[in-house]
Amino acid sequence: MELAKIEALLDSYFKGETSLDQENMLRDYFSTATIAPHLMAYQGLFVGLKNAQKEVSEREVSLPESSTNSRSWWLSIAATLVILLGVVGLQFPANQMTTEEQHALAEFNKSRTTLLLMSKSFNKGTQELAVISQFTETKNRILK
Amino acid sequence: MKQKEFLNTILPCKNTLYRLAKRLLVSSDEAEDAVQEVFLKLWKGRDKIDNYRSPEAFAITITKNYCLDRLKSKQASNIKIVHNNYKNSENIERTIEGNEGVELVTKIMETLPEKQKMIMQLRDIEQFEFVEISQMLEINETAIRVALSRARKVVREQLIKQYNYGIS
Repeated sequence: MELAKIEALLDSYFKGETSLDQENMLRDYFSTATIAPHLMAYQGLFVGLKNAQKEVSEREVSLPESSTNSRSWWLSIAATLVILLGVVGLQFPANQMTTEEQHALAEFNKSRTTLLLMSKSFNKGTQELAVISQFTETKNRILK
Repeated sequence: MKQKEFLNTILPCKNTLYRLAKRLLVSSDEAEDAVQEVFLKLWKGRDKIDNYRSPEAFAITITKNYCLDRLKSKQASNIKIVHNNYKNSENIERTIEGNEGVELVTKIMETLPEKQKMIMQLRDIEQFEFVEISQMLEINETAIRVALSRARKVVREQLIKQYNYGIS
């Protein structure tokens, strides 16, 4: 490229009047090996500007997994579960009897077995007594 | 908007955001943090992204605001910013390969005020049109041209000063 053109471009570059295409022409010119000696001072700038675009971020960005909407949805379910567990947890101990009631039940069971034993013995006694009816039968036969 | 769709729109400009953040915050660590924060902000407001003509321009605006806030809070708390972007040996090799002139540009641009830094970054490195830059930075085009020519003139002076110092 003509030197005069490059000089003109440089001038308008420093005035802030160049277009992107013209700025690219300057960058290209200063990337070549043949640069006019009196323009050498600008070489570092244009090469540097070109190379600065190659710098890249080396860290990965991380975003929260779920959106805020679905998180609140999960939260409400979790809260419901906690409340349910709480209610159930309160209900179960209420089902269990107090020690007084347990004692009463044990007493009831004990007296029931005693009474059953008694009625069994009574039944035995009545069976034995059945023989007595024999007397009445024989007496009736005789005293007709 | 699903996460994948979101990343497809925003990831392509991640490096542009990173470079802008690094230009302003200097430290590469802080720039990475800034990118992460900006992505989170964009993700939270993803429903609004569609309202903007260009998601990239919107992302850059957010990055600009975030970085300027960071700088302001640092100034307020009066912390002196000392940055050592330590590189391991692997990185140094890569630097030598493709980084010719970058250090010079970084050094010169560091002396510019924030607004000029951002404009030069977006124009001379990222190569955006003035209309786009005007949207991104929320500054009118004329003001951008004026700031850019001022920035470039400072750069020119410093280049010539350094060059003459180098040869004499």
